[in-house]
Amino acid sequence: MSDTAVMTQGLTKSYGRVKALRGVNLNVKRGEIFGFLGPNGSGKTTTIRCLLDLIRPNGGTLRVLDLDPQAEPVAVRARIGYLPGELRIDDNLTVESALRFLNALRAGQADWNYVQHIAERLDLDLKPQFKNLSKGNKQKVGLVQAMMHRPELLMLDEPTIGLDPLVQREVLHLVAEAKAGGATVFFSSHILSEVQEIADRVGIIRQGVVVEVAETDSLIHRAMRRVSVRFEEPIDLDVLARLPGVKVLKRDDGTSVLLQVEGKMDALIKALAAFPVSDFETERPSLEEIFLAYYAA
Amino acid sequence: MNTIFRFALSRTRGQIIGWGVTIALLAWIVVWFYDPFKEQQQQWIDLLKTFPKEIIGLFGDLNEMFSTKGYLDLQFFVFLPPLLGIFAVLAGSGLLVSDEENGTLDLILAHPVSRTALLAGRGLAFVVVTVTILIMSWLGLVLPLGASSLTLTPGAAALPFVSLFGVVLFFGSLALLFSMVLPSRKLAASAAGLLLVVSFFVSSLANFVRDLKGAAQLSPISYYQSASAINGLNTGWLIGLLAGAALFTGLAGWLFQRRDIRVAGEGSWRLPFVKRRNPRSEVERGKA
Repeated sequence: MSDTAVMTQGLTKSYGRVKALRGVNLNVKRGEIFGFLGPNGSGKTTTIRCLLDLIRPNGGTLRVLDLDPQAEPVAVRARIGYLPGELRIDDNLTVESALRFLNALRAGQADWNYVQHIAERLDLDLKPQFKNLSKGNKQKVGLVQAMMHRPELLMLDEPTIGLDPLVQREVLHLVAEAKAGGATVFFSSHILSEVQEIADRVGIIRQGVVVEVAETDSLIHRAMRRVSVRFEEPIDLDVLARLPGVKVLKRDDGTSVLLQVEGKMDALIKALAAFPVSDFETERPSLEEIFLAYYAA
Repeated sequence: MNTIFRFALSRTRGQIIGWGVTIALLAWIVVWFYDPFKEQQQQWIDLLKTFPKEIIGLFGDLNEMFSTKGYLDLQFFVFLPPLLGIFAVLAGSGLLVSDEENGTLDLILAHPVSRTALLAGRGLAFVVVTVTILIMSWLGLVLPLGASSLTLTPGAAALPFVSLFGVVLFFGSLALLFSMVLPSRKLAASAAGLLLVVSFFVSSLANFVRDLKGAAQLSPISYYQSASAINGLNTGWLIGLLAGAALFTGLAGWLFQRRDIRVAGEGSWRLPFVKRRNPRSEVERGKA
């Protein structure tokens, strides 16, 4: 058994003239939580659907839990829990009958006590018909069916969308518990704060190509920082602008300046030591800012 | 496949009751109406002779109208192919694609269910539903026979339904195949429905329009025996219809194996002259 849960190499997919995937390379390790980020239309859902054999790529290699999803789709899906980006279930079923049907498709793999346990944690009533549920409650049904059989690999497309903050927190706990139980979690999200909170690594996809994969902390730490400095008297700010890796973002009358610093802070700090500094603040960008930076590039 | 089959069957209770009861009631009325109809035999013949020959052709041989076979043919069995054909076309075209279009197929195929098992489970459910409807219709025909002067045994009465079974499966599987090649379920049902109607009229009009006899040989409904099956089932025709159904189903299954499952609302290839109505699919493909 390799230590890779999901592998794609050179994955391509076109819809007519539109190239949805242009060579996606991914390597998700077993037991990690991997956040997959990208705007609408970047190829996140297309990648996930290729991994599930719902759509067939035009080229490239895929492996899920060491299996080829096209050659062994049933075996792959038996070990996966999937939450679609848009969950649709037969409207006339009750929540309970829908979950029992989906469990029956898995030959009753899920322990019903555990199903009820997750439902309770997410505050989900099993009695109503699916069509009468709010968007948030429908999402909860999706989460329960994805997690109820304790899969080796969880593939969650926007798991917390439509959920209130308390339930979002509970979902993150469930994901963390799944990881603690040995599962791998591969999820896409637009809520970057939660990706930042739980993902071990992040992959950023843009226009069908993965542009960055890194550990979440590393991505944040090596990114550019913002430094705000206030001086007791006006100084020549050009001195700072000439420092390597430093860019002046905003300046006023020479007594305060906002800088962007890439790389080490040492040169800037030593330069500032020559001036009477009254205030100094440094701020790491959020994952959102890093993400947006990839799209501004 | 068992779960798929049971679930598909559970969703068709309404269809079974609706179609089965309706046709059974129709059969009941037809049987009940025979004796009053026969009492006025001469008046009916005189009336029908005033109709254009094209209309008379739809009724078949007027002299046969009052025999058991002729009466049941004219009043009941001849209309069953287009009637049950509607059921077949709607059921067949929606067997896979209706769930794809409403977005529920995604989740089902994200479970350990092969596409073959999905098609087989649902196909089997379609066959069971068809057989159940036909049995209910047969019961509607045979139960009141004791109170009628129609001379027909239950066994003989079953044979036209066996022939009809072949027709229903033929058009159901044709609609299924169309749903795999055409952009939407509606288009597939329309195309199959159109062929059903054309087939029915060509077969009926060929009785007196010589030029249509060649075309009628291509019409599947020409291989439906109707009430003449009472005198003996043509197993060759039945096997031909079932073989056609098997071929269409096999082709549909082959296409389904290779098909990208659409996300709900994504649409599919479109006819060149039809504008795409769903802007969401444009955004998803990064065009917006």
